[in-house]
Amino acid sequence: MATQPALFDAGTNARRWLDDYAGGPDDAMRAGDVAASLAMLEELAAVAGDDLGHARERVQRHAADIGTGFRIIGEDSERPWPVSPIPLLIEADEWARIERGVAQRADLFETILQDLYGAAQLVERGHLPATLVTGSPYFLRPLVGLPPPGGYHLRFVAVDLGRGPSGEWRVLGDQLRAPVGAGYALENRLAVSRTLGGLQGRLNVRRHAPFFAAFRDGLAAACRRSDPRIGLLTPGRYNPSYPEQAHLARYLGLLLVEGDDLAALEDRLYVRTIGGLKRVDALWRRLDPRLLDPLAFDSHSTIGVPGLIDAWAAGNVVLANAPGAGVLESAAFGAFLPQLATRLTGADLILPNIATWWCGQPCEAQHVAAELPSLLLSSAFGARTLGLPGEAPVAGADLSEAQRAALLEAMTARPQDYVGQEIVRLSTMPVVIAERMEPRPFTLRVFAARDRDGRWQVMPGGFARIGAHPDPRAAVMGEGSWSADVCVHGPDPVAPVSLLPAVDTLHVRRNPGTLPSRVADNFFWLGRYLERGEAMLAVIRVMLGNSIDADAGAALGTATVAKLVNELVGAGAAPAPPSLRRADLTQFARTAMEARADGWQSVAAINAHAQRIAGGSRDRLSADMIRLLDAPFPSHRGLLDRAGSLQRRYAAIAGLSAEHMGRTAAWRFHDLGRRIERAQAIARAARVFGAVGAGLDDLSTLLDLGDSQISYRQRYLTGIARVPVLDLVVLDPGNPRALAFQVEAIRDHLARLPVLEDDGMAEAQQIEATELYAMVAPEQAATLTGELLLAVDQRLGRLSDAVARRYFLQGAEPLRAGGLTLA
Amino acid sequence: MSDTLALPPLAADGGHTMRYDIVHVTRFDYGNAVKFARCNLRLRPIDWPGQRVESYALTVAPAGRVQPARAEAGLAHVARLVIEEPVRSLTIESRARVTIDRAVPVPQADDPSLAEVAALARASNDLSAAGPAAYLFPSPLIPLDPAIADYCRADLAPERNALEAGIALARRIQRDFVFDPAATLVDTPPHEAFRQRRGVCQDFAQVMITGLRAAGLPAAYASGYIRTLPPPGQERLVGADATHAWVLLWCGPARGWIGLDPTNGIWMASDHVVVAIGRDYAEIAPVDGVVLGSGAQAMEVSVDVAPLAD
Repeated sequence: MATQPALFDAGTNARRWLDDYAGGPDDAMRAGDVAASLAMLEELAAVAGDDLGHARERVQRHAADIGTGFRIIGEDSERPWPVSPIPLLIEADEWARIERGVAQRADLFETILQDLYGAAQLVERGHLPATLVTGSPYFLRPLVGLPPPGGYHLRFVAVDLGRGPSGEWRVLGDQLRAPVGAGYALENRLAVSRTLGGLQGRLNVRRHAPFFAAFRDGLAAACRRSDPRIGLLTPGRYNPSYPEQAHLARYLGLLLVEGDDLAALEDRLYVRTIGGLKRVDALWRRLDPRLLDPLAFDSHSTIGVPGLIDAWAAGNVVLANAPGAGVLESAAFGAFLPQLATRLTGADLILPNIATWWCGQPCEAQHVAAELPSLLLSSAFGARTLGLPGEAPVAGADLSEAQRAALLEAMTARPQDYVGQEIVRLSTMPVVIAERMEPRPFTLRVFAARDRDGRWQVMPGGFARIGAHPDPRAAVMGEGSWSADVCVHGPDPVAPVSLLPAVDTLHVRRNPGTLPSRVADNFFWLGRYLERGEAMLAVIRVMLGNSIDADAGAALGTATVAKLVNELVGAGAAPAPPSLRRADLTQFARTAMEARADGWQSVAAINAHAQRIAGGSRDRLSADMIRLLDAPFPSHRGLLDRAGSLQRRYAAIAGLSAEHMGRTAAWRFHDLGRRIERAQAIARAARVFGAVGAGLDDLSTLLDLGDSQISYRQRYLTGIARVPVLDLVVLDPGNPRALAFQVEAIRDHLARLPVLEDDGMAEAQQIEATELYAMVAPEQAATLTGELLLAVDQRLGRLSDAVARRYFLQGAEPLRAGGLTLA
Repeated sequence: MSDTLALPPLAADGGHTMRYDIVHVTRFDYGNAVKFARCNLRLRPIDWPGQRVESYALTVAPAGRVQPARAEAGLAHVARLVIEEPVRSLTIESRARVTIDRAVPVPQADDPSLAEVAALARASNDLSAAGPAAYLFPSPLIPLDPAIADYCRADLAPERNALEAGIALARRIQRDFVFDPAATLVDTPPHEAFRQRRGVCQDFAQVMITGLRAAGLPAAYASGYIRTLPPPGQERLVGADATHAWVLLWCGPARGWIGLDPTNGIWMASDHVVVAIGRDYAEIAPVDGVVLGSGAQAMEVSVDVAPLAD
């Protein structure tokens, strides 16, 4: 008899897990608050029974539901997010010290940046060598002398911490450009909260929402306009952390924009929207600063915004963080920070750095050379050097004799390129491996953001990265293979800040309300491709024999089959079959369904277009929709089954967009794309299968392609005849598959989308739609001609072009001046 | 845009004082009309030890808006050209009158050694664009390269007089490399030109800078002009008729930046006019920027550097 493990005894399981856990005395869980850990494990046991592996799967599934993913550079698809079911617990008192330490650091960095990009006194007075600054690829000289709009260089920073054997926290690195991970911290919290629903209340876990609200408010307060428009500037969907960026944009109510979406004119920044150019006041940028503006930095950047830096320099756009902040990230800088802290703030660093020796100074270089075997060697400024085997830090002890000699020689020529650092032993925390808790070394990334008063707020918790191997050095070197939620807990109850107290909920905000042209373009084409795939599947299914008409399908006459084949060949789905024999036809259908090479516009190719486009608008699609779109192309069972399963998927997607998407402009473009595509498919089908003299097979096929067999049979008991078929499939405005219905919907959408001028005059695409409607509405089935259907088809093409011209980016290929060959 | 600078008196040494009238015309022809263009023009020569710009005029046809750029990397005058009306062609004419008073450097016994230069540069507290610190490091278009480092090392023994080492390396490159405009393009990386031992002034300069930086020395990329016609009885220099590129090596605070021309195997002296100095071509490109258009573009450049008779 099966037991009910979930009800068995959570306390017993939790106790047993803890007793069996192999973590040593310096392990974060062993050394921490045991009662809190037991409470957490009890919550876990309450949902997972005695099976920790089950708990892990469960939290992973939640992460997948939330839509968390990440991409390894060079890989085509996203990977599932590896989140551990066991959060890292940190007591409030211990956390308070981390909080103070991170805020102190962030203030110190701001002071140093103000100096380096201002008067440069620190260098002139000899507190910092100029080389330490110029060695960083993130020192952007063009920005010297330009004060950052809003007054600060830094608005959102992260600090990587390691926990030493005696529980002390030390700084491993600083993230000052565009720290990755805040969105993942948020997603980890959501996934773990869904699994351990009772934990938050039981341990008084502090929430993340107020931190994000403070950041957004701080950014808004820095803008010149009172109701600013703020964007999150992404490098695009192929960036490894694009899913995180999409999630953050959605969570914070920021406009997710790419460089192409933006234009800088007359020292102001704008986003290209369906309503024309709209001012942008601030950007949270996730783009490498050197790619931001081809006119200011790298003129080869094609993803930046020409003139952005001029708008910034004129004070018209706030950038978080200001470009150039990364100059303080280099490992070499850590060697100077302790002295700078005492000099500039009069206090020691609350969170010490790991000991660092920069070889650009003679004494330090000697020390590193002498102590090579006991140190970690790395590039001082993150660039590739001639003396180290790779880009990653390497332990001196791991170098061969020859490598060591080569390094010492290279260090003699260019000592400024190297730092030596002490090797830190990281303490462990539990992670679930092979259904047990196993200790693994971890690092903690802590985030801080400025609030509206310019003060630093630290996210309570953060993002724990857990090393893949028991070797503690691995985590220092950035190989995190698991992530965990970080819960700051304490005796004081946490005030609910959001409307849904059960989980760390979204801070409700209105969307900025402007639809970027690129997004409109994406939604329009997503609609068209999905509809096109569906129409093509219908043709394949009829051809293979799947009509509800028992006489159709396999028994279709050769003439009708030949027309179906023509449709697919004409659409570019597959090359024409050598004959219409069953075997050739099946092979032909398989190609039309699945061909992925040679440029055939097969269903699979169209599906891939749809996936690609959806990937670029992830922030605006629901997780359910993304899951359906991202699902692998059906590959099991027979061709007809596969076509059927894909058609059902398309129906589910259509259902989601009809029933679950808000009636926003984005939805209108999506539906407009579907309507135009469907209208063209019907106009073509009616011309081919509904011509004067069409036989029974043709007309039945037309009903199948128009998805109207059942409606027809309910309406006409007498059998299939041409005029009633044409009326139902083409002209009946009450039939949602009919041409007339599409034409009306198109006209309606275009009437409701924004126009550029409020002079009451119709725009070109609206005129096209009205004329289209006037062509179709008065028609009678008995007198409907092929010429008219052809004209409708062509007008639909013009309409689609007019929509594109009016609303979408018409980016001409940028040419580049320059290319001067110097003699 | 035109102005005349007040002239401080030049050193009263007539031996190598030269005055030049420079005309540098860049013409672009576009296959289809260009609707929008923004370019950085780095055409006006900078003031630099031994050289002064007496007058300067920049004209653009058809007329566009020219304004100073807000963000500048340092040793270049950057003008921003904005074209908002559709154009089929663009002509940029830069005219300068420059006085050069620059003697041929002579190495002295008390010049610093290369090791001293490297140590002084590392310890520099000058963060400005004219300081040596920025030029110690590889830059995006001039990365470190072990093969070039090995080639250059022979001339760069640490104890050697910095000026002697610099000119020796420039001369060796001039001897070992073939001047061949067909061998490389503007974006050919240094290691490729090095492999071929062929190229133009940019390739020669980039190879030399790579080698100097690999040895821990501060080396900058200089762009500018050399006189078109040689003095009577002398050979015409390679690189006249176009913009030229060479190398600056920082030789300690007393000597400052010393110019070395590996294309001709000579020092920078009164035949060279500096227009801009940067870590690599990206910071001194005479014209670069973003042009929106869909057709092909063709470019023609002409340069004339005429000495004025006194």
